[in-house]
Amino acid sequence: MANAISLLRHFLSRACLLSLLRLACVLFPCWGQDAALAAAYEAPLPPELHDSPRLCDYVPCQEVIPGADSFSERRGRPPYVEAYRQNGGSRQLLGYVFLSTDIVDIPAYSGKPVVTLIGMDTQGHFTGAKVLKHSEPILLLGIPESALVHFIGQYTGHFVGERLEIGSAPDGQGLDAISGATVTVIAQNQVMLRSAAEVAKQVGILQPKIRPAARFTTPDHLPDWAELVQTGAVQRLTVSSTDVGRAPTAQPYIDLWFGNLNAPAVGRAILGDMNYGRLMADLKPGEQAIFIIGNGLESFKGSGFVRGGIYDRLKVDQDDDAFTFRDTDYQNLYTVAAKGAPPYHESGIFILRSPAFSAAYPWTLAFLGNRADQETGAKTFASFEQEYWLPAQYLEGGRPQVTRREATWVKVWRDKAWELAGFVVLLAWVVLAYGNRDRLTRASRREQKWPVNAFKYSAWVVSILFVGFHAKAQPSITQVLTWFHSVVYQWKWALFLSDPFIFLFWIFIIVTVLVWGRGLFCGWLCPFGSLSELLFKLGGRLGLKRWQRQIQKPWLDRLKWVKYGIFWGLLAISFFSMSLAEQLAEIEPFKTTFLVGLFQRSWPYTLFAGGLLGLSLFVERPFCKILCPLGAALAMPTTFRWFGLRRKAECGPCTACARGCGAQAIDASGRIDSRECLLCLDCMVLYHDDHACPPLAQERKRREKAGLPLTPIGRDGYFIPLVVAPAEPGPKSGGARS
Amino acid sequence: MTTRPLPPVLPTPLPPWHQARGLSRITRELVDHLLPWDLGDFRHHTLVQIGSTLLAGAATLVWWLAASGQTRGLVVIAWWLAWSAMETWVRCLNKPYVKEGPWWGRQLRPAGVMDMICYVGFKNLLLGSALFLTLKALGWLHV
Repeated sequence: MANAISLLRHFLSRACLLSLLRLACVLFPCWGQDAALAAAYEAPLPPELHDSPRLCDYVPCQEVIPGADSFSERRGRPPYVEAYRQNGGSRQLLGYVFLSTDIVDIPAYSGKPVVTLIGMDTQGHFTGAKVLKHSEPILLLGIPESALVHFIGQYTGHFVGERLEIGSAPDGQGLDAISGATVTVIAQNQVMLRSAAEVAKQVGILQPKIRPAARFTTPDHLPDWAELVQTGAVQRLTVSSTDVGRAPTAQPYIDLWFGNLNAPAVGRAILGDMNYGRLMADLKPGEQAIFIIGNGLESFKGSGFVRGGIYDRLKVDQDDDAFTFRDTDYQNLYTVAAKGAPPYHESGIFILRSPAFSAAYPWTLAFLGNRADQETGAKTFASFEQEYWLPAQYLEGGRPQVTRREATWVKVWRDKAWELAGFVVLLAWVVLAYGNRDRLTRASRREQKWPVNAFKYSAWVVSILFVGFHAKAQPSITQVLTWFHSVVYQWKWALFLSDPFIFLFWIFIIVTVLVWGRGLFCGWLCPFGSLSELLFKLGGRLGLKRWQRQIQKPWLDRLKWVKYGIFWGLLAISFFSMSLAEQLAEIEPFKTTFLVGLFQRSWPYTLFAGGLLGLSLFVERPFCKILCPLGAALAMPTTFRWFGLRRKAECGPCTACARGCGAQAIDASGRIDSRECLLCLDCMVLYHDDHACPPLAQERKRREKAGLPLTPIGRDGYFIPLVVAPAEPGPKSGGARS
Repeated sequence: MTTRPLPPVLPTPLPPWHQARGLSRITRELVDHLLPWDLGDFRHHTLVQIGSTLLAGAATLVWWLAASGQTRGLVVIAWWLAWSAMETWVRCLNKPYVKEGPWWGRQLRPAGVMDMICYVGFKNLLLGSALFLTLKALGWLHV
């Protein structure tokens, strides 16, 4: 089994993929343009890049700091490189070069970081940036990679301390976003600013923020270990082997307990009175000490302190300020006095000497390591963090007020609040209309369906223009694949919340698929489906009706399985190579139509999407019926929708509805295939139309001929039966029909 | 397995548990969802008994191995897919019906092959996800 998986992985490897792309470049020169431009997509980077002191031997540092002709070794913590220019007989310091993944661990949309080389001059202005590697599928075959190059080019000349925001910024400088890659650019903005800020603080360009020092309370009792843990005065940071891309192990990779020692209650409990007194006597005013005890397969001290006196696996962050430790900041911790403390095999006391650090405010202990990519084996920097905030009872006056940094997704939701409100109104509008389908279909006639169509057509137009072209919120099979992977590997709410339109759309889709079936999304709100059917309707109005055809039912009954095959194929491939599955998901013309634009891509994509839309003028929804993998994925749970459309016993021999069904979802026996039905409601209009539905028309004529009243049509689709009233006693015998 | 076209207004065969009420009904319906074999047929075919017991045992073993940390996630997924394929086939032969309408209702309808694939696929997706996530949360399964 493992061999088979390994073999399949090999065939689906990057090398194999690139060979296929090369072949495609030969066969279709223009198609190759997108792939050729995507030079940084999963680009192999030299393994030395992440740990060699000679960073600039492996990457083109000159490109990000023009004029530099020599570079130092990596220095500092986090590391950076000094860039020099030979000026006469002396070397002039031009600025600094640093690798984003040496400093921050911020994943982009793919869940992996964009590896970026950044240059900054001695005044703190960006001099350039270069993307060395990214894993964003949208930038491989959707949006050209040049868009990302253009985006990071906007930073050049800006000061690192500026408030640079994506889009318009009322109190800062706005950057042009990449349409359709919002999450990528928001993450990249954080990468650029936070990396540069960390280096700028180290070299003295930016000054750290000085926070008010903590004032500790005097304890009335010494807590034991359990109480320290329960109150949060001691925190735990655990990293498993799988977190760093290794095979699972019984022991964690690293398991740390840590806490502040200056607070008398905590310090005396951990160290004992005597050792606490000694430590406090050693510390200068404003200095803070923390303790760490550890277990696990790895050491939290690492080996960096032996070579260079630096503890390179630990870092403390407080807001944007980072604090690292040297060997002079370390003291031995021989024993933990608190009762109930766990056994440990490594321990230490670390001293924070910067006045910028305050124990009154929350801070984060970060364990810095490397994460091996499971597909490629390549290692990238990874930071595992745990927040610590001294409990209120140990601080005079309790915890101070703190304004938390806003999560990326919160900013996205807030920035688009009005548009999102409009979107919710659209969804509610469609639910309301469909919920009232009985009333709307009764008010319609076969030749006059405007009560239904007014809602449906307006939903189509809004969906195409607002949802599709403006918000670029076209749901896609790639999102379904991402879900499957998130369930199997790691579920990240932040990833799904980062695209609010898609998030809301999927809630709507899941609920309505279970209640009514996929038709409400596919038939009423899918931007591409709406565009496709609208083209068909327009084609009919514009004189193309004589050429408009339905796919022959026997053929469609075979062809409809193609979309299920595509879905299952993509799902299976995604477990071996998500990036390959995402590329093959180009079978959906959504990116070309809405995200990038029909004429912004190379001709095979334009031809494919344009061809499908052109075909839609003559055949109703050809893509939806035969190819759409998203439709297939939604069709399967549709089998169990709670509320289906109504049928009559006569629907079998009668084919009136079937002939008028645009989705061709009614079979010869009159049964509606809920998986193919797009809930257009045409059959339900007929169901209530006593001039169009044959059994109803027959009954209507019979009653009219007999002079009988036409009673209302019941939920079963028949006239409410005439009831014979009992004869009333009177001078004449007889009865009356009501 | 139903090969003829299904009538437009579907017959509603009574479910095996239709007369049960309350907890008894829930239990019997649960068994109906979990076991693909019709117990009546099951008792009369020794070969089916042996084969089915072996397969059910194998599927249980894989989940047990997963729970004890001896099997990786992708192997469990592959096994679950194989089990689902077998369950679809067995159900098409033994229990060729699926639920129609609300899940809490009692109405059934005859199932075509695609109905059965969707039923087994969706049900096992929910069951598998629940088991998978539980084992992952307990730290017994690694991917």
